[in-house]
Amino acid sequence: MFCPQCGANNADTAVACVQCGRNLQPGAPAPFPIQGVVQPLAAPIQNYLVFAILATVFCCLPAGIPAIIYAAQVNGKAQVGDLAGAKAASDNAKMWCWISFGVGLGGILLYVLLITLGVLSGLHSN
Amino acid sequence: MDFTRISTANLLSQHERRLVAVLFMLTAGGLILLRVFDPATSGVFPPCPLRYLTGFYCPGCGSLRAMHALLHGDLYRAWAMNPLMIMTLPFVTYGLASFALLQLRGKGLPQIMLPANCIRGLCVVILLYCVARNLPYHPFNLLAPGALLHP
Repeated sequence: MFCPQCGANNADTAVACVQCGRNLQPGAPAPFPIQGVVQPLAAPIQNYLVFAILATVFCCLPAGIPAIIYAAQVNGKAQVGDLAGAKAASDNAKMWCWISFGVGLGGILLYVLLITLGVLSGLHSN
Repeated sequence: MDFTRISTANLLSQHERRLVAVLFMLTAGGLILLRVFDPATSGVFPPCPLRYLTGFYCPGCGSLRAMHALLHGDLYRAWAMNPLMIMTLPFVTYGLASFALLQLRGKGLPQIMLPANCIRGLCVVILLYCVARNLPYHPFNLLAPGALLHP
């Protein structure tokens, strides 16, 4: 089913649009913007999938896996209309992306440190 | 429907935004370095920590060499270095561009909502890919970085 408001492709069983949050249940009134009130832009709930994949592949595989699993949960929950659950999963996905990134960065810094120490001790012994 | 809550759910905090902006700039700088230096021979880029410590290939091994080859227009060499990375690159680039636009102007590029099982499947594919490229058996060993170049 395509959302009549923003055109996003939703599951046929979706209660609310995953992209803009519009009520997709049959018979739901179309939300008219109230005159004079600027409606805030409703953006989709981020699943951070791209970052989860990048973190898994490039940073730290064990911490990237939960990030992908939570990203999957964001989509699963958003599609059945559980927006609060999707938001919670989104936060978890983001957290695991940062953890994975931090571990990966830590690994690279550790490597650089070891190399530097190695070079220094090499210079010293010479 | 609480629109305000949904609309603020996606934007990063000021602090996170700054970090992400720095990461995007580092990536751009890294691409320039990757065009100039060959990761296979120059020693400018650090090796994969997993490969360095354990001798096993990770799913990302060969990506730097693949990007270097790609930046020099050698798609076959790039493919040989890391086929999974080359396959996902267009989607990842699109996703990153969409994310950057979302943070900058509050609206990303149009996206399809992947079913949850698709994403879980992707996770399994990455794990299987990681195992397969470490197997010493044909044809799995062709997935190891550069293996296709030396049959």
